[in-house]
Amino acid sequence: MSSRWLRRAHRYARPELVEGRVEGLTTSAVTAAALALLALLTTAGGARPSPSASDPLFVESAAATGLVFTHVNGATGKYYLPEMMGAGVALFDFDNDGDLDVFLVQSGAIDAGGSAPAACHLFRNDLTVSPDGTRTLRFTDVTKQAGISVRGYGMGAAVGDYDNDGYLDLFVTAFGATTLLHNNGDGTFTDVTRQAGVGDTLWSTSAAFFDYDRDGYLDLFVARYVDFTPGANRQCSDPVGARDYCSPRAYRPVPDRLFRNDGRGHFVDVTERAGITRADGAGLGVVSGDYNGDGWLDLYVSNDGGANQLWINRRDGTFVDEGLISGSALSAAGNPEGSMGIASGDFDLDGDEDLFVTNIVGETSVLYVNDGRGNFEDARARSGLARFTAAFTGFGTDWIDYDNDGWPDLFAANGAVNIVEAQRGQPSPYRMRNQLFHNLAGRQFEETSAAAGPAFGRAETGRGAAFGDIDNDGDVDIVVTNNNGPARLLLNQAAARSHWLQIRLDQRPGNRFAIGAWVGVERTGRPTLWRRVRTDGSYLSASDVRVHVGLGSSAAVGAVVVQWPDGQRERWTGLTGDRLVTLRRGTGRP
Amino acid sequence: MVFLSLAQIDLPPLPQLALDAYPPAAREAVSRAHQIATARPTDAEAVGTLARVLHAWDQWGAAHDTYVRAQALAPRAFEWQYLDGLALQRLARHAEAAGHFDEALQRSPGYLPARVKLAESLLESGSLDRAEPLFEALRREPASEPAAELGLGRIAAAKGQHGAAVTHLERAVALFPEWGAAYYALALSYRALGRREDAQRALERNAQYGPIWPAQNDSVFATVTALRDDAQTNLQRGLKLADAGDLAGAIAAHEAALARDPSIAQAHVNLISLYGRTQDWARAEQHYRAVVAIGFNLDEAHYDYGVLLGLQERWGPAAEAYRQAIAINPRHALAHNNLGQILERDRRFDEAAAAYRQAVDSQPAFRLGRFNLGRMLLALGRTDEAIVELEKLIQPRDAEVPRYLFALATAHVRAGHRAEGIKWATDAKQLALEHGQRELAAAIERDLARLK
Repeated sequence: MSSRWLRRAHRYARPELVEGRVEGLTTSAVTAAALALLALLTTAGGARPSPSASDPLFVESAAATGLVFTHVNGATGKYYLPEMMGAGVALFDFDNDGDLDVFLVQSGAIDAGGSAPAACHLFRNDLTVSPDGTRTLRFTDVTKQAGISVRGYGMGAAVGDYDNDGYLDLFVTAFGATTLLHNNGDGTFTDVTRQAGVGDTLWSTSAAFFDYDRDGYLDLFVARYVDFTPGANRQCSDPVGARDYCSPRAYRPVPDRLFRNDGRGHFVDVTERAGITRADGAGLGVVSGDYNGDGWLDLYVSNDGGANQLWINRRDGTFVDEGLISGSALSAAGNPEGSMGIASGDFDLDGDEDLFVTNIVGETSVLYVNDGRGNFEDARARSGLARFTAAFTGFGTDWIDYDNDGWPDLFAANGAVNIVEAQRGQPSPYRMRNQLFHNLAGRQFEETSAAAGPAFGRAETGRGAAFGDIDNDGDVDIVVTNNNGPARLLLNQAAARSHWLQIRLDQRPGNRFAIGAWVGVERTGRPTLWRRVRTDGSYLSASDVRVHVGLGSSAAVGAVVVQWPDGQRERWTGLTGDRLVTLRRGTGRP
Repeated sequence: MVFLSLAQIDLPPLPQLALDAYPPAAREAVSRAHQIATARPTDAEAVGTLARVLHAWDQWGAAHDTYVRAQALAPRAFEWQYLDGLALQRLARHAEAAGHFDEALQRSPGYLPARVKLAESLLESGSLDRAEPLFEALRREPASEPAAELGLGRIAAAKGQHGAAVTHLERAVALFPEWGAAYYALALSYRALGRREDAQRALERNAQYGPIWPAQNDSVFATVTALRDDAQTNLQRGLKLADAGDLAGAIAAHEAALARDPSIAQAHVNLISLYGRTQDWARAEQHYRAVVAIGFNLDEAHYDYGVLLGLQERWGPAAEAYRQAIAINPRHALAHNNLGQILERDRRFDEAAAAYRQAVDSQPAFRLGRFNLGRMLLALGRTDEAIVELEKLIQPRDAEVPRYLFALATAHVRAGHRAEGIKWATDAKQLALEHGQRELAAAIERDLARLK
């Protein structure tokens, strides 16, 4: 009989269409009519007032724009682990009106005790642009009109158009029942969890829509955390013996799940068949990308307190975990870390996807640099990121080129999970400030939080973060969620001096938003800017599906290359910056 | 007098401590030292003692602030610089830690732990060129040679010199064969050299040994750790003793923890098992009752109680205990597995198979549970299903695998796949020999002979 006798007392993103005619487009070749059309089809961009050097890089504007939402964790002093972990946010254009709407996940009370559970909220973006270019950003809570009634103990959100009807759908994870909301295309959603076969009652965290088998339908990966139940609550304490939240190591990890989309509105659980059960961990973050450069989408999963996983797609419906052998699973000293959020992107412009993983305080967050074949180097020290992140517990994160200089920068939403020593005795002693890091030509990073504005000086309990151009002014904005606190909207003011390009892909038939496509923006004499079309990554959150690239001092674009999710490539020329373009499959040159 | 006041103004202040928010044991310990330091604010020893106490209670930020004041008061003292370096290491402020270790070594150049810590801090902060000669020098000291070889291996790897890295790292694991971190670094260098199988083996060792690190005698840091004798410290000591096989010592440490704080559920849970291992059923039961009364860690308590009852061959109550664990935590894989074994014992094979299925559904990587499921399916004559389950156990090819392969071979033979059976049995025998499992290899050979 097995007798495991002792356990540690663990303290522990309205498309503008540029189709068919753009290939080979040059200024001399294009007709006046086509130019006029192009002008109509691009989002107003270009000249904006330049900020002065002393202006903050970001301005917090949630309340001013009507994005009023406060997360409730329901803490009652029982130190239930889920209380500390939520919740997430999704940035997506649910009504296809060309601007990003916001879905905020609510948690509520674990021991509801008869009280009505709190609900998730959908805020419609009612952005207006006046003839003089003045933008007025306003959010309206449309939760009821949209028919959304997600009332479990919510954790995170994932976004993707699983039925290829051209409208982005929503998947909500929870400590409890997950929910798949089908976007009906008329401003409402329908709960299709049961018929879609993606229901789950265990503790799910981040999720990712991606097409791993290239059949043109988005599949779904759901990261799951640990086997906590209120009845099996553990008693943990902090270093001075005060009651505190347990480490996930006090519980057992729950295996993640992979659902294959059968293309008929139903998903099949292929977790075991795909080999996903061969490794487990307390999953918190998930991102899809092609890490070994074979053109097929892989997955990276961050685990809290255990080895992270790099699920390499074997192109036969199965995956193999190469996290350890790839060097992306542990610290350089061979220790698993308390990993939370993930940013995946080509920060050094060498054409492959690198990983930044936020970790718990005292460990430092880690930069894994990809050699293009799926071998990673832990570059946290030489990049300078270790030094900046040592005192923080990071959650939501992404590579965002906040100043549009072409080099992807980093944002990290921070907040502790255990009592912050200097805040002992204070209410909610888990507060930390968020951070911004500027990419110094792909070699090192400098922290620019101090210049980022007062919002970056405020210590809160940061968790989710979603990224996208919310006011359609050509730069990347951020929505940050706080555990048991208000959501924050950080509007980017930093990028006005530089040029940019936003790209939306349109692929029919199949995966309509081309999630998983690899987009390269070629520039003469400068490295190509590669971006993955995705909504996943970060922590418990979903970001804009549109691709944003900063072009620096020149709006010139040599060409845009798209490697579609099935591996086919197309190329468009004659595009210029400072606009949003939609590239429809079949309208470029092979 | 005027001079003294100015000196005091220039001194870093003592940290602000929310002592009222500390639990009693920590409050008592920190308050005492804080009062003395506050009363004698220019006494380096009094201030340093407060820093030590804060350090002992893992209050690294406050400890660092206090060490800084102690350093200002006693600029020539070694210990405040060194201990501050240790506190800063725990805060992952490696570059600053290196500065303090450097300062400490100027005062006491021969203190080996400080030399090792300086080199390690420089490595962690990315100062490879500064770390390298320090590790080279440390190779010459037997007590620091393993750390030096790991450090030099990691530096060589960071420079892309993987051949040299392997040489250093192989030496490191030869010196300290249970060094998980060294095996991990070795695996990555093997991978870089294209030696994938070697890399996989090294990763298996990393998984096996995990965070085990060679111990180093550090008399200065011992003055910090010696300051704690609270419940949590005793609990941690008890765990270490249990890991080391010292059951009596582990029990004593756990009881000491409970003497200081009887409400620590984990200590009671651990004592169920510790007393169980010493067959002191009554005391084990007493701690089970205590943890049930406290109301935390209940699934573990019921599970461990089930094991305890099983050891007494009280199968009925044991099954009930496992069911209680499962009622609280339906995904308690071990409880499902052990319940399955009791059901199997009662020859309730269908129910046993269902319990094993629950175990592997709850924890798919639970190999023993899957092995039991495979076995039970085989016993039920559901050979095709058994083959499916047992085939999931063939990787990784560690010491557990020979018996899984043997079971897989048996399943194939029973399914009429004689050639497949011989193939797997041959593989099982070979692997058993590789892992030194001679009895199992002999048993497989006997069956193979009959088959052939």
